[in-house]
Amino acid sequence: MTNRNDPPKNRFVGWLMGEENPLDDELELIVSTSQQEGRDVLSLEEAERQEEAEELRREKLAIDEKSQSVRIHSWAKHQGAHWLETLYRIAAVVLCGAIIFFLMTTVVALPPFGAENNPYNNEVSQRYIEQGIPETGAVNFVAGMILDYRAFDTFGESTVLFVASCGVIFLLKLNDHSSGKPSRAMLEAEYDDRHHEPKNDGILQFAAKLLTPVILLFGFYIVLNGHLSPGGGFSGGAVMGAGLILYLTAFGFEDTRRFFTYKMTRWISCLPLLCYAGMKSYSFFTGANHIPGGVPLGTPGAILSSGFILPLNICVGFIVMCTMYTFYALFRKGGM
Amino acid sequence: MIEWIRFVLTALFLLGGLFILISGVVGQYRFRYVLNRMHAASMGDSLGLMLVMLGLCISQNDVFVILKYLLTAAFLLLTSPTSGHLIARLEIATNEHPEKEMELMQK
Repeated sequence: MTNRNDPPKNRFVGWLMGEENPLDDELELIVSTSQQEGRDVLSLEEAERQEEAEELRREKLAIDEKSQSVRIHSWAKHQGAHWLETLYRIAAVVLCGAIIFFLMTTVVALPPFGAENNPYNNEVSQRYIEQGIPETGAVNFVAGMILDYRAFDTFGESTVLFVASCGVIFLLKLNDHSSGKPSRAMLEAEYDDRHHEPKNDGILQFAAKLLTPVILLFGFYIVLNGHLSPGGGFSGGAVMGAGLILYLTAFGFEDTRRFFTYKMTRWISCLPLLCYAGMKSYSFFTGANHIPGGVPLGTPGAILSSGFILPLNICVGFIVMCTMYTFYALFRKGGM
Repeated sequence: MIEWIRFVLTALFLLGGLFILISGVVGQYRFRYVLNRMHAASMGDSLGLMLVMLGLCISQNDVFVILKYLLTAAFLLLTSPTSGHLIARLEIATNEHPEKEMELMQK
């Protein structure tokens, strides 16, 4: 705890850093001195009279205020609520009608079911199958689709994951004090965690010791092989996150923090997103302006092939891994 | 001849494994207490799956495929008893009156 009597160096900086305002709850009214001085001069009678008048005025004011507040509240309770309810119902009916109207016009405009020239019988899927390998260089069509043709969509998905983990951190992270000592809430969370979880379970620790490296390796293999075989960044990242969660469950936060800290999580989830954005901006820019991108596609089937798909897969994998681990750690203890 | 022996062995192991798995499922619904139900479930997970894996190994010719089966069996043998152990431990840790359900050994 910081010393409450110490005036902070800069109140705004202190507020930004989350310090408590020492002036909070300690404000007091300063009675103006002129009133006190004037009272001494007045005679006792006059003072009494004045006090009575003051009291009368106050009482009247209180009654006025009360009646006024009753009037306002009763208006809000009766007419206001009634109006609001009517308005609400009208708005609901209008909104529903509008939605129904737009949906029905869309349904009417749809082509008949099973017709030959329907949009889903277009050349896009045919082109993916026929030209997918020469154009993207990925043997796995799905990877070529989601990370090349539709990479912008996948970028949105990664951003959604990132924003979700940001939101969880924002809501659930327990802050430590600016002095670096753990706060009371953190200590309580630590105690709860130690109290309820089976700690130092030998069997689980043995299994985790054997399994965690294998799981992490397998997850990374899925990520790296995403353009050659089924898999890719999302599934591989989920497997890696599961491996980290297993290690955390077996050995606790102390041991996991030795190789996977909060700071590292921040870096690992921010940097891949930036790399993804940079790479895709580059390829969009060159593609839109018909400039040769200079990224060789390589021979389809080799591990170093298919242009940007491999690094993009790695980026997505890291983002997914960090999101899973962040969710677990924050929901369990509110920290890492 | 050897094909026939292999077929019969595979069928026997697969059917045995399936029997154990089905009895595990039945036990999970028929038993009342957590530990009994967990015993049925984890028995199906370990013994039944091991028998199925053994049958599949016998049926295959490719050494690489057999190695994959063995690896899968090893991981299953490592993970499923661990999860069963954790569930049992959690039950003992959270049940306030375990003596109502079973006889406890006095230490």
